[in-house]
Amino acid sequence: MTAAIRLVSVQKHFGGISVAEDISLEIHAGEILGLIGPNGAGKTTLFNLISGIHAPDGGEIYLGDQPLSRLPIYKRARLGIARTWQHVRLFPTLSVLDNLLMGPRDYPGAGTDERAAAILARVGMSEARDKMPGELPFGQQKLVALARTLMNDGKVLLLDEPMAGVEGQVYETIKQVVRDEAKAGRAVCVVEHNVSFIRDLCTRAVFMFNGRIEQQGTVEELLASEKLAELYFGGKKGETRS
Amino acid sequence: MEYIYSVLILIGINIIMASSFNLIIGYGGLISIAHPIFFALAGYCSAIVSMKFGVPIPLAIVLGTLFSTVLSVALSLPSLRVSGDYLLIASIGFQLGFVEVIKNIEAAGAASGLTGIPALYSGPLRSPAFVVTILAVAALVVWLVHRMTHGDYGRAIQAMRDDEECFTSLGRNATAIKVAIFAVGSGVAGLAGALYAHYSQFLSPEQFGIIQSGLILTMVVVGGMGTTWGPVVGALLLTALPQAITFVNLPTAIMAPLQGMIYTGLVLLFLFVRPQGLMAKKVRQ
Amino acid sequence: MFELPILLQIGWTSLATSTYYVLFAVAFALTLKVAQVWNFVQAGVMGLAFYAMYAAMLKWGWPTAAGFTFGLAVAVAAAVASEVWGYRVLRRRRSPGLLLFIFAIVVAEFVAYLLSLLFGTEPQSLKKSLVSEVHLVGGVAITAWDLEALGITIAACAALAFYLRRTRQGQFMQAVADNGELAELYGISANRAYVIAMAIAAILVSIGIYLYGTRASMIPNAPLELILLAVIATILGGIGSLAGAAISAVFLSVLQSASILVIPSQWQSSLTYVVLFVVILFFPTGFRLPAWMAAKMRAR
Ligand SMILES: Nc1ncnc2c1ncn2[C@@H]1O[C@H](COP(=O)(O)OP(=O)(O)OP(=O)(O)O)[C@@H](O)[C@H]1O
Ligand SMILES: [Mg+2]
Repeated sequence: MTAAIRLVSVQKHFGGISVAEDISLEIHAGEILGLIGPNGAGKTTLFNLISGIHAPDGGEIYLGDQPLSRLPIYKRARLGIARTWQHVRLFPTLSVLDNLLMGPRDYPGAGTDERAAAILARVGMSEARDKMPGELPFGQQKLVALARTLMNDGKVLLLDEPMAGVEGQVYETIKQVVRDEAKAGRAVCVVEHNVSFIRDLCTRAVFMFNGRIEQQGTVEELLASEKLAELYFGGKKGETRS
Repeated sequence: MEYIYSVLILIGINIIMASSFNLIIGYGGLISIAHPIFFALAGYCSAIVSMKFGVPIPLAIVLGTLFSTVLSVALSLPSLRVSGDYLLIASIGFQLGFVEVIKNIEAAGAASGLTGIPALYSGPLRSPAFVVTILAVAALVVWLVHRMTHGDYGRAIQAMRDDEECFTSLGRNATAIKVAIFAVGSGVAGLAGALYAHYSQFLSPEQFGIIQSGLILTMVVVGGMGTTWGPVVGALLLTALPQAITFVNLPTAIMAPLQGMIYTGLVLLFLFVRPQGLMAKKVRQ
Repeated sequence: MFELPILLQIGWTSLATSTYYVLFAVAFALTLKVAQVWNFVQAGVMGLAFYAMYAAMLKWGWPTAAGFTFGLAVAVAAAVASEVWGYRVLRRRRSPGLLLFIFAIVVAEFVAYLLSLLFGTEPQSLKKSLVSEVHLVGGVAITAWDLEALGITIAACAALAFYLRRTRQGQFMQAVADNGELAELYGISANRAYVIAMAIAAILVSIGIYLYGTRASMIPNAPLELILLAVIATILGGIGSLAGAAISAVFLSVLQSASILVIPSQWQSSLTYVVLFVVILFFPTGFRLPAWMAAKMRAR
């Protein structure tokens, strides 16, 4: 089976520091891959490299068989790379519905209003469709951002800390959506500090540290690893950062 | 009466220039000072093809407008591909450079100006006909800019200005939108220039200097960037104001810099005291 | 036409005239690097410095040193004022970059109009006679001005390099340029670094405009064109690199002088604009060393 997305020896430096060092990674359709690692490990940077915000210094990224590194950001999105942001980033001057309408691969596109309504219903946010993002509590903003990403109907879904600052009903909704998206055949990659979320959802996980992949395997293997505990939690195993 | 017609025409031209510049700077968030040069390029192009090649005037006006549009794409596409900042720099080069070039081209009348441009209308009703044409075009332009910046396309422009990186990551081509905005805005300036050429029948490099850039910018900033009616109000006010000054008979050596100081001084004043301009209700964050 | 002595002469003269371009370019690159603004206000600062010197030296009959110092003082005051009452206010309000740009360019224009109102648009220079003593060295005419200009410029650049590398304040400024927020965390005031950068740039610009004014004549609109060359040099040299800006300025100056050999003189002034577009099209992130050379440099 070919991978939905494949990174081959991807490298990136910022000034003197290496934030991606020889990263090779595959994510398959239908899989949920957990990407974990302490602050500054380079997780967000990896998403930025895949989505085209940063150009790699070396290596290549393939979507199916298509090399991406020469394509601009928007073309990658149109090929089916959809992502969320660690800092939500809704358009503050557009309503929730209009935020979603920016999301499909073709804009304005036919039938998008109906799709937007359906997706809003899926994340339980139909009521908020005409509100401005600033009027919503943080958790609901995250749901809207997730919904906007779903409008892409992409092949690859990159979620940057979807659970940070989220609890209760919103937490459950996001979990369900992520599960369903993988079932629908998307390759999902989740950056999360929340270990129980990773444990519940991910089949496989990758541990990053200082721009390198330190270890990969099943979630159980990673969580049992001494090295991870040491690098991540400074020895105190089982704790998570909020 | 002739005086009133000429002021009305000037107001119409300035509304067209300010509205189209507002599209570029206020809605597109693209800074360029080269707006007057697109006015000039179309004016000269239209004048020359009608004088030298006998092209009928309406067709010449269309050609002039297209000429400005095409050149605006040639300016904006390479600079915008790098970053928004480069557009300003390229536009300064474009503005100063083309004035220099026009001054050296004999066929364009060089520094002393191009005379004998055929008029679009002639006869006793010439002036009112021009007034109607130009005010109608002005109204059309205000409507066009309003349409472009509201509705689906307008929302996309808004989102692009809110957060360009996020916008492009959703699959939207921000560069294409910016180039389109710049091309439409510059094309409209070109249309104004071509109409003006066949009204005044005279063009000279002095008419498109950096002082005009300052004037148009003042109209937009004072009226309110990114509003439909701001540039219209700005154009009305700032066309009337210098008319008032011309009644005080000052020598040009004092007059020209004084006008320039008033325009730039007003921009600075508004920038700090009322950055949203006259027509905006609240400060947009 | 392409004989050796002529080429040598053009080479030497353009090297000498590049001195003020170097100073303008380094000043522009410095404020861009430290304060992250495309500081077109510098065109205004140039104009003010020149006309202050002009008034002092030629209208009031002050000695050269006093006139220069006066121009310098006016320039530094104007530059610091633009930072404190202009940029800082806009930054504090979190104004979009658009407004900072507009502010800078409009201030430059405002000053140009003010100066035309006060001094007219006739070309002026800082000396009654621009003829300078000439020595012939191997067939190449070397003027006293050439030597003075080169000496002063090299000294100014060396002083700046020393300041940035060796003094505490200079290192603070580097830190702010690299990461303003982080520097603030370490107790380095970014605002202070901006003010100092503006002041240093004003000093460089004053020296440059003095050299310019003792060799060529000036009109109130000229600084806007002069600054454009500084901008091109800054981009070509790679944003953030002062040495790159300086070297590019020399290159541009030589290119401009050498163009006399191949294009008619009335088109010479348009060359700057052509270069601008070539740079933006082909070297938007500065002229880069070939990859293997860059790798070698990094390895060191
Ligand atoms: N645009 C940039 N320029 C320079 N350095 C950057 C840039 N973006 C990220 N970095 C640096 O790269 C390193 C990795 O950052 P990244 O955001 O990828 O970490 P992360 O794993 O997502 O951490 P966190 O869990 O805090 O989100 C950090 O040291 C960061 O400071
Ligand atoms: Mg991160």
